[in-house]
Amino acid sequence: MNTTFRYQWLAACVAVWMFAAPWLAQAADAPNPIETARRIDQLLAKEVGVGESAAGRCADEIYLRRVYLDLVGQTPSVEDILIFTLDPDPNKRQAVVERLLEDGDYGRNWARYWRDVVFSRRTEDRAFLAAPATTEWLTEQFNSHVSWDQIATELITAEGDVREVGSTGLIMAQAGMPEDTVSEISRIFLGIQIQCAQCHDHPTDQWKRQQFHELAAFFPRVAVRPKNEGEQRSFEVYATDFAPRFRRPAGNNRFRGTLEHRMPDLNDPTSAGEVIRPVFFVSGERLEFGTPDADRRGTLAKWLTSADNPWFAKAYVNRIWAELVGEGFYEPVDDIGPERECTAPDTMDALAAAFTDSGYDCQWLFQTIMATEAYQRESRSRRSPTETPFQANVAQRLRADQLFDALVNALELPRGLIDGAGARVGGPGGAYGVRAGARQVFSQAFGYDPSERREEISGTVQQTLAVMNSPFINGAINAGVTTSLGRLISQQDDDRTIVIELYLRTLSRQPSDDELATCVEYVRQGDDRREAFEDVLWSLINSTEFLHRR
Amino acid sequence: MFDNFHRLTDVRVNRRGVIGRRDFLGTVSASAAVAGTLNWPALMTARADDLRQRGMACILLWMQGGPSQLETFDPKPGHANGGETKAIETSVPGIRISENLPNVARAMDDICLIRSMNGREGSHPRATHLMQTGYLPTASVKYPSIGAHAANQLADRSFDLPSYVRIGRGRGSYGGGLLGVEFDPFLMASATRVPDNTTVSHGDNRYRRRLGLLGKLESHYEQHGGRQEVGDHRKLVNAASRMVLSPRMDVFDIEQEPESVRQAYGDSEFGAGCLLARRLVETGATFVEVHAGNWDTHDDNFDRVRDLCTQVDQPHAALLADLKQRGMLDRTLVVWAGEFGRTPKINPRSGRDHYPRAYSAALAGAGVKGGQVIGETDAGGESIKDRPVGVSDFLRTLCQALGLDADIEHMSNIGRPIKVVDGGEVVREVFG
Repeated sequence: MNTTFRYQWLAACVAVWMFAAPWLAQAADAPNPIETARRIDQLLAKEVGVGESAAGRCADEIYLRRVYLDLVGQTPSVEDILIFTLDPDPNKRQAVVERLLEDGDYGRNWARYWRDVVFSRRTEDRAFLAAPATTEWLTEQFNSHVSWDQIATELITAEGDVREVGSTGLIMAQAGMPEDTVSEISRIFLGIQIQCAQCHDHPTDQWKRQQFHELAAFFPRVAVRPKNEGEQRSFEVYATDFAPRFRRPAGNNRFRGTLEHRMPDLNDPTSAGEVIRPVFFVSGERLEFGTPDADRRGTLAKWLTSADNPWFAKAYVNRIWAELVGEGFYEPVDDIGPERECTAPDTMDALAAAFTDSGYDCQWLFQTIMATEAYQRESRSRRSPTETPFQANVAQRLRADQLFDALVNALELPRGLIDGAGARVGGPGGAYGVRAGARQVFSQAFGYDPSERREEISGTVQQTLAVMNSPFINGAINAGVTTSLGRLISQQDDDRTIVIELYLRTLSRQPSDDELATCVEYVRQGDDRREAFEDVLWSLINSTEFLHRR
Repeated sequence: MFDNFHRLTDVRVNRRGVIGRRDFLGTVSASAAVAGTLNWPALMTARADDLRQRGMACILLWMQGGPSQLETFDPKPGHANGGETKAIETSVPGIRISENLPNVARAMDDICLIRSMNGREGSHPRATHLMQTGYLPTASVKYPSIGAHAANQLADRSFDLPSYVRIGRGRGSYGGGLLGVEFDPFLMASATRVPDNTTVSHGDNRYRRRLGLLGKLESHYEQHGGRQEVGDHRKLVNAASRMVLSPRMDVFDIEQEPESVRQAYGDSEFGAGCLLARRLVETGATFVEVHAGNWDTHDDNFDRVRDLCTQVDQPHAALLADLKQRGMLDRTLVVWAGEFGRTPKINPRSGRDHYPRAYSAALAGAGVKGGQVIGETDAGGESIKDRPVGVSDFLRTLCQALGLDADIEHMSNIGRPIKVVDGGEVVREVFG
């Protein structure tokens, strides 16, 4: 444990030392977020038209819940809502964004998001072992203002014990297999689904099978091996520049790595296959045979994050825009090119160019997008394909961690209950001594892959049952003397006040007149005031609005 | 129920390739295309209804960890590789299996053994994924399991309980994949408890009152930008409520079985799982997995496998007898399989390691001709002498027994068509 902690502490120091200085230098030249936002709105209006059918600016309380969930992954407290809605400052929306971007939960929220991006597509189930370290590491990166190109570089060039070195997560998720790892690198950082070209030339894009294997050729020397010595079982991402003693006939060795990548011969799958040189398909830049691993992956990271490679900025901008505005320029968010249709190409290019100019500053992009009118509109259900895009923000189903934290806030659950050691994880976890807290159990039940089209993420019956009927949640709703609802009812005689308070805790807004009347009427008709308020709170946390960020 | 929910949601945009309006053509099987003149919807509906009405079901006894074929269905007494395991006669003259499975031996008339299973994958998660889905795992395409395909193609749409259930603490994240979460299995860690979160804690009446209040409070958001979201969520709440309020929920309470039946299945967790599987299929479920393990016997193989067999042998035989006695065996396929076999050579720790090159599986019911053995390994069990059966052949054979169309293609999220089973051929001999 001590070693882990020390390592993370050291890594944090190194990260701060290496990246803080260049970030500060870049920030001075970064385009102004507010001006950029204005320009983006104008471009968008020109490209797609924003007419009378467009949704209006959302109310302050809706905006506040939205930015809280989007930035720190939680709902605002009742005090936060009151202070914000009463604040007369015309710039308060920008101010709250700036404040939340400096909150430690900002990094944690987005670390969890990217953890889900990476591990939802894992081909090695035991990669879950790497998830905690990856999340910690990403949290630190985002909170320390490390730029996106640096984060990408670390993920591509990582080595070490996957339970200690968080940057190994992406490679571990694919068990270090060169083909799978580069497919994920291309998908996540470039939005290009080049893996379709693994076995044949890409059916709908220009990529050739040869180009896919040239990309895989940056990774042959990387492998993942089990690590059983020491106190805890783990895996290790490592690289070798020496010829392995054993070589499988088919060439690409899963556990040891090989010196050069081989492209299997489709007509003769048992043959060794053709030796392939590393070439970056976007630019055509190439490396020599025999290049050591550090140079291979380092160079790939350099070319991939270069300002000359437009895909790198576009993929990130498209994804974050889609998360915030609810609809991407391209969908799904990780399939953007080159022969894909963009709903607003000029806007997309302008925003991507400004993001590049900012030095790939993640916080800058949040500030900019959140200042646009496109972001601040009222939300609507997803448009049909024939309707004009970007006329409204689009409601999103909460991710597992957001929903969990929203429940914690709404029910005022005690922290110890949540993050303490819980049930032992079933399946492979047992052998690795991993225990899950309530959050992880919840995460397993409610997690989804954030790269999927959002309209394709539907809830499940088992999830719905969990919120409706779990003893855990029902216990927290209970209006006994020890629960927060019980105390509220004891302290407050006015039913209306209690209903308003419950709305603020759950939906972060005041009830409409109708809602207030419905709830008050329900309480009056019931035999038992406490039971009736339990039912109101139960209904609110089971409502569609609670499960969404609108 | 899950199928039903899916239909109700109206499949606005084809969700990860589920049969929906937009990609309808992408899901039509090659064989159906030959039929030509019939219009598609009529063809598909006719076929789907026909399948659903037949009520075919499958119980997969999943031996997680890779069971040793030498200590179960392919013993090699007298050969150095065989170790201490003896073979015993079965109810079918000429077929001998391990002494560890005396009850199953007496049921051999109904069982078709395959001793020539073979794959290439020796890693647990990858081999499990391969056996369950027919594909190796990839990051870009989430392949559905055979159980998800069965639920998709066969499940009765009016069934108010889950069509696809997994019982036991199994490894693996396979399930609905590109078919969508509604075809994920309903997970039950244990068959001896009712499923989590299905008990109404304050009585049915109060539960209905709560649902009534929830319904009223939903209308504000429905009218303020959340029409679609509220509509979808309401369907889930209805489906979940239909389940917990269903009179059929009793199915999960195996204590309701007569003592004699419970005793027949034995008192192991796996026995309870098999009994629950029978109850679920009887009630209308389509695909039930019952997991047993861990068969990963790298050391102390002989004692450990003997112990595992003790847990599995009696319930397996009892399940077949029970299904037969109730007249359900003809429409219920019972599969015994794991992700691979184990090395014929015994390692220095008296264990056996992973061996995908030659292993065994057992089938019964649903038209399978019992009392026969397909395929043969050599004297030491190291290689296949006769009639190799690959994973695709195996899955195609399961599809054949269940009446599943193995050639239907579903679109992946990036527009790649994925067949239920890619390649392979039905092992015709299985059906006699």
